[in-house]
Amino acid sequence: MRRKPAWGRIAGKTVIYAVLIVISFVYLEPVFRIISKTFMSAPDVIDPAVQWLPRTFSTDNLKVASRVLNLETSLVNSLWFSSLLAACQTLVSALTGYALSRFEFRFKRFWFMMILMVFIVPLPVLMVPRLMMFITFQDLTKIKMIGTALPQVAMALLGQGVYSTVLILIFYNFFNMIPGVLDEAAMIDGAGPLQVFYHVVVRLSRVTVLVVFLFSFVWNWNETYVTGTLVAGTIQLLPGKLALFDQQFESLVSSSGSAFRINEAYKMAATFISILPLIGLYLLVQRQFIQGIENTGITGE
Amino acid sequence: MKKRHSFSLRKRQNRVGYLFMTPWIAGFLLFTLFPFAATIALSFMEVSSTIRGYEIRPVGLDNYVTAFFRNTEFVPALGEFLMMIVPYTFMVVVVSFIVAYLLNHITRGRALFRTIYFLPVIIMSGPVMWQLLDSQTVIHGMALPDDFDSLFLLSILRSYSPAFANLLSGVFRQLSTILWFTGIPVVLFINGLQKINPSMYEAARIDSANEWQMLWKITMPQIRPVALISTIFTIAQLSTYNISSVYNLIRTATANTSQGLGFAATYAWIYSLLVLLLMGLAFLIFRQPRAKEVSLP
Repeated sequence: MRRKPAWGRIAGKTVIYAVLIVISFVYLEPVFRIISKTFMSAPDVIDPAVQWLPRTFSTDNLKVASRVLNLETSLVNSLWFSSLLAACQTLVSALTGYALSRFEFRFKRFWFMMILMVFIVPLPVLMVPRLMMFITFQDLTKIKMIGTALPQVAMALLGQGVYSTVLILIFYNFFNMIPGVLDEAAMIDGAGPLQVFYHVVVRLSRVTVLVVFLFSFVWNWNETYVTGTLVAGTIQLLPGKLALFDQQFESLVSSSGSAFRINEAYKMAATFISILPLIGLYLLVQRQFIQGIENTGITGE
Repeated sequence: MKKRHSFSLRKRQNRVGYLFMTPWIAGFLLFTLFPFAATIALSFMEVSSTIRGYEIRPVGLDNYVTAFFRNTEFVPALGEFLMMIVPYTFMVVVVSFIVAYLLNHITRGRALFRTIYFLPVIIMSGPVMWQLLDSQTVIHGMALPDDFDSLFLLSILRSYSPAFANLLSGVFRQLSTILWFTGIPVVLFINGLQKINPSMYEAARIDSANEWQMLWKITMPQIRPVALISTIFTIAQLSTYNISSVYNLIRTATANTSQGLGFAATYAWIYSLLVLLLMGLAFLIFRQPRAKEVSLP
């Protein structure tokens, strides 16, 4: 039984929708700007009369940008780099989330607090000693660390990757929803803790595993501070190349000797290229992404 | 017999629990706790890298003196950072609450709006933000301030306090960039709003409260913990994006190993302390007020 919509109600709804739509435009304005600039030809960019829609559609900017970004190499690198770190992070977050969800160990509350505290520690405060540790380790063992993915793999495998706390909380809350009797049944049948973890719990939470992996993938893709310090540009990654776009452009142009000048359109095209894979991913699994954040349960406690 | 059983069960729980926790705990000690303590210690040292590794020499407060008095960049950069993060965080939290509140009032199209508001979480990265801000200042750098100056209210403000007016027009100019930080807070707020017990609203409605009163008397107090989490999250996010100049200062100091990492540690420590203080401040603001004693008649 629904009440008849009164006029005031309809007016209220209209205002709400209007406000939401306006805010949506403000949100999307940068994305629109990126896309429109990307496809503008050179005269369009300087023409003040051309605001959003390019007068002549051109893909020149994309070509130039992908050359400056060294697209093939950096795209492949970004893909494996982020996937590798995401796999490590997913594994360790699942283990930690499982421990918190199922076992009553000593100082559990303390460790839980520490997991939350890690989130608010600003990264710059950790980077100098971390860098020194890795350099010292490199000098002692002669294993090359700086400029490779190793330091970050080590950190991800030990649960100190990007936004690890959030990933652990997603697992923790999902595991809490799986009834504990399933574990017990498996244990009675003689399964050890690791077997229970893998055969019962992980198998029941495939979707969660995927969500955590994707979040971790996206965050590792976008992460540039730790990567910039530890990899230092040795592995060419898309966001890193984007950050150095201006310099790379200048050096490329001066070496080829042509009279190119950098303009907004090139930069926006480069930005477009570097966010395109993520947008594609988002369009595929946007619902899972949002639910993933909802399932962290950080609003409930 | 029974007692022994429960004891061994507890022991087992303890052991297996720690087994699963080991990687995280090891990482925490090695890559978070130790570096944290080391940074504080290093801020009182001079670190020089030699062929034989690092040479560390205590210099007392020298790094701090340099940071605050000898270096002319650091203190203004810190000030600039504060002027950025306080209004930005305020804007992000307020806007995300409003958006979530509105979204909670509609049913049709909600998923679509949510998808739009969450998009920045996926595509936002330091370099992308940098390019966007950069292009904004290049394109509109000359035109926009005048645009906002023509606003009556802002021109009045400017005659009283030019600094505040500049701050405000800065916030306006970068509105969409600021809004990009609201992605996760919006989801958190929606989630929090849905967890508020609907019978409270019903009870209020029976007592003929209107929407506005319910917003202030029920929603706001109930949403306080979520607001705290969102504020802390926003501060954490804003402080690690390279839109603040201190951040870049620290970055170059860390990359520049010849100048001494002790100095970089000092910068990083002061900056982080400031960020943690801001979070503490947020905690105080949103702290649950002590329950008033209600005497039942």
